Amino acid sequence: MRAQPRGTDGSLLVSLPWTIGALGVSLAPHVPYLALWISAAVVGCAAWRYIIEKRRGILPSRWVRGGLALVCFLGVFGTYSAISGVGPGSALLAIMAAMKLLETRKRRDQFVLLFISIFLVMSSLLREQYLWSLPYLLISTLIILTAWLRMSAEKSETAKQSFATGGRLLLYAAPLAIAMWVFFPRLATPFWAVPIDTSQATSGLSDTMSPGDISSLSMSDAVAFRVRFDDEIPDSRDRYWRGLVLTRFNGRTWTGSEPRIDSSALQQIAARGDPVSYEITMEPTRQQWVFAMEMPADWSLERTFMGPQQQLSRVTPIEQRIAYKVVSYPDYVLQSELSSLARQWYTSVPENGNERTRDLARAMRSDAGSDTAFIDAVLAKFHEEQYFYTLQPPALGSDPVDRFLFDTRQGFCEHYASAFAFMMRSVGIPSRVVLGYQGGEVNPMGGHLIVRQSDAHAWTEVWLERYGWYRVDPTSAVAPERIEYGARGAAIDGVGVGWGFTAPSKLLQQLTMTWDVLNAKWNEWVLGYGPDTQKGFMEWLGMSDPSWRKMLLTLVISVVSLILVISGLMMLRCRAPAKDRASVLYDRFVKKAGLERRTGETALEYARRAKSHGTIPESTVSSVTVAYLDARYGPDDDGALGRLKHAVAAIRVRATA
Amino acid sequence: MQRAKTIENLPTSVDAQRDAVLRAQRTMGKIILGKDEQISLALACLLARGHLLIEDLPGLGKTILAQSLARTLGLTFRRIQFTSDMLPADIIGVSVFRQDSGKFEFQPGPVFSQLVLADEVNRATPKAQSALLEAMEEYQVSVDGETRPLPKPFFVVATQNPGDQIGTFPLPESQLDRFLMRVAIGYPDETSEREIIAGDDRRQLLDDIEAAMAPETLVELQKAVRKQHVSAALIDYVQALVRHTRESADIEIGLSPRGAQALVAAARARSFIENHSGVYPDDIQAVFASVAGHRLKPAGSTRFRSPSELCQHVLDSVAIP
Repeated sequence: MRAQPRGTDGSLLVSLPWTIGALGVSLAPHVPYLALWISAAVVGCAAWRYIIEKRRGILPSRWVRGGLALVCFLGVFGTYSAISGVGPGSALLAIMAAMKLLETRKRRDQFVLLFISIFLVMSSLLREQYLWSLPYLLISTLIILTAWLRMSAEKSETAKQSFATGGRLLLYAAPLAIAMWVFFPRLATPFWAVPIDTSQATSGLSDTMSPGDISSLSMSDAVAFRVRFDDEIPDSRDRYWRGLVLTRFNGRTWTGSEPRIDSSALQQIAARGDPVSYEITMEPTRQQWVFAMEMPADWSLERTFMGPQQQLSRVTPIEQRIAYKVVSYPDYVLQSELSSLARQWYTSVPENGNERTRDLARAMRSDAGSDTAFIDAVLAKFHEEQYFYTLQPPALGSDPVDRFLFDTRQGFCEHYASAFAFMMRSVGIPSRVVLGYQGGEVNPMGGHLIVRQSDAHAWTEVWLERYGWYRVDPTSAVAPERIEYGARGAAIDGVGVGWGFTAPSKLLQQLTMTWDVLNAKWNEWVLGYGPDTQKGFMEWLGMSDPSWRKMLLTLVISVVSLILVISGLMMLRCRAPAKDRASVLYDRFVKKAGLERRTGETALEYARRAKSHGTIPESTVSSVTVAYLDARYGPDDDGALGRLKHAVAAIRVRATA
Repeated sequence: MQRAKTIENLPTSVDAQRDAVLRAQRTMGKIILGKDEQISLALACLLARGHLLIEDLPGLGKTILAQSLARTLGLTFRRIQFTSDMLPADIIGVSVFRQDSGKFEFQPGPVFSQLVLADEVNRATPKAQSALLEAMEEYQVSVDGETRPLPKPFFVVATQNPGDQIGTFPLPESQLDRFLMRVAIGYPDETSEREIIAGDDRRQLLDDIEAAMAPETLVELQKAVRKQHVSAALIDYVQALVRHTRESADIEIGLSPRGAQALVAAARARSFIENHSGVYPDDIQAVFASVAGHRLKPAGSTRFRSPSELCQHVLDSVAIP
């Protein structure tokens, strides 16, 4: 009879669900980035394999598997048009794991699957290393370990026991991992560069602004950056975080120019008053813009320059979390001289379109008499007339400024900034739109400022004789609370009431803040543990002049000593609990008899075997056994123990023939 | 008074009592050939004040075993043949109106005897079964609002054919629990079978049996059995066994604390019969299959075909502490 190589016998039913579960857990963080068909294929293969095992069916043939693998490989190549990089790499791993499931017959195949699982878990760190990555890593490793133990578990071992063993193993490994992490020398230049998946856009500011096209103001709570001020945190109305500046308007869309260096930009800032210094930890944006409070005069980020409109940008996009120090002057005069060419550039508007607004602006300007009075009049119009701040304004169609100012009268910062700047330009006042963030929330626990995506803001700058570029925020005329309390406060008032929400409870607020502090600490201490921090930490530990050699040596010494300590502890744990004297004596007898005791074998059964084994005379075996049973199981009686002692001492091992 | 006397005379009288047990064992061994283990278990069950369930195919000597037990122990014996049309009154008894006295008079049913053989207990309806099972639990029956105690000692030996035969009502698990032991008899070995075929009718032999002891002796024996020493080490072992039955993947429902109690009680009786200085792990192992076999619910996926195989596996996988 030929053995059926593809048949299943249900013997994997105990461990297979765990293996599949481990694979699922390790794939979970990749799922949002994977093409849908890949996740579907993995789920399909897992279900297929499980059903085969359940029904004791046979596995697909080599040709089927080969064909599927080829199709999937081409599918990955077609989807990503590459096979290297984090995206296609994880997709390939996922597909390979799914295919491997279809030929999993033995324990060895499951080992391979669990290896892939561990690899997938680790590769998720190439994408992101958030605070929750740590618990995720622990839990997924624990599940994979449990699956591993389930495979080699005895029939009687329960899943709970395997899980506990896995947890214990993980605990033993934890000190080693921490030692490795602390002492492994960090290099300023990494060993390898991780190809980053750029197809996935992160939320950030867009490079253009078209009020009315889509009504999307980010309500995302995602953190844009955190700020730690050296001294007091400035007032909310001073916290304008300058991002990019939009200078061209085509009647519908405001656009800026590509980031370029302008060496004269810094000289255009005339500082007045005291500087404010602070450190920003910025989340990756995949854009070049670098944010700073107006007006930045000095910054510590490398390869970062100031553009002609005092916007900061870095040469390369910000792909990873960065931290930099900035010195800003909240009180400043910017570019008191403006060339006629620049003046023409900053007042240019399209030939036609938005006619009603132009007429209105001209009329208001002639009524006002001066530029400043005109600005005040426009702001007063926004303030006094029926204009509303809302996060869900209606779409505007053609002539968006006209539609907004005269018809809909509802909008958020972009609408007001755009309308205001257009009105200024219509009467020849140079103006531009600035995009960035405004305000931010103070975390009372961490003492730092959190600026979220929902704090994104647009305001305007107008150039006035003697004043230079002067910041005017038309939104503050409509919704002063937006500036005073931040977007969240304003939005909750505007939106929440309509939906019947109440303000978030204090507890929730506190939880959010605690979570933020944890995140900030995580960023600062764990992710920010680079060469400098490590050096500082080593010096703090008392290592003079820490070099990578010294650190490596410390690493080896501490890992070796930790292994010794842990194995010592494990040996202590594994030692059987102190036995009573009768069983110690009996064990001595068993050792002398030279015959292993079987599990569940009673003393009487053992005596029968020992007698036929013949190492010890039968009479001795009997007397030891009787004395042992009396001493251990009989009524408390010292006499029996004495007999046992005597009998064991009298054992003479017979020379075996 | 009698109790005090027993304790005073314990050293000598216990040996005499044990002799009586051994005598009973020998006598029964002459009638039921080649089934010493089952006889010993059945005696241990009664000494531990437990009820006995004998389960096997027809014709293997279930009834003979029960009858010989009654004879050798000198107990009053009634046999109830369970049928599907049986009513509780057929077991417990009924109140009859007496014309001469003008009163109801209770006519005790067959349950009012020291050893009741409930033959083919799984043939009766659950209603009739439960009348018997209540008597087993309470050692008394209630008729017409009056509680009547059952004689002492009181044993039920029930026999049943394995449940997969037609027309039977298998006992539910909760009621199986009321039997201290379940014993299967099995086919005799060849020598014994030869002797059975060639020899006298077993039922005739029964008539010639002389009681090995008086019912009072049995009660004293039961008291002595309960004094059999149980050491802490043995309790460790019982706990390890019980824990294993609860955690094993092969077993869906493990032993309850009551099951563990039953295990120790039966092992005490066995240890007494074997004249051990205390209860040994051997005693636990000897009674384990018959005490635990009907109390464990094997998992659906188990690879063990019979309860005894499963029990043996449990014994083989738990180390004796």
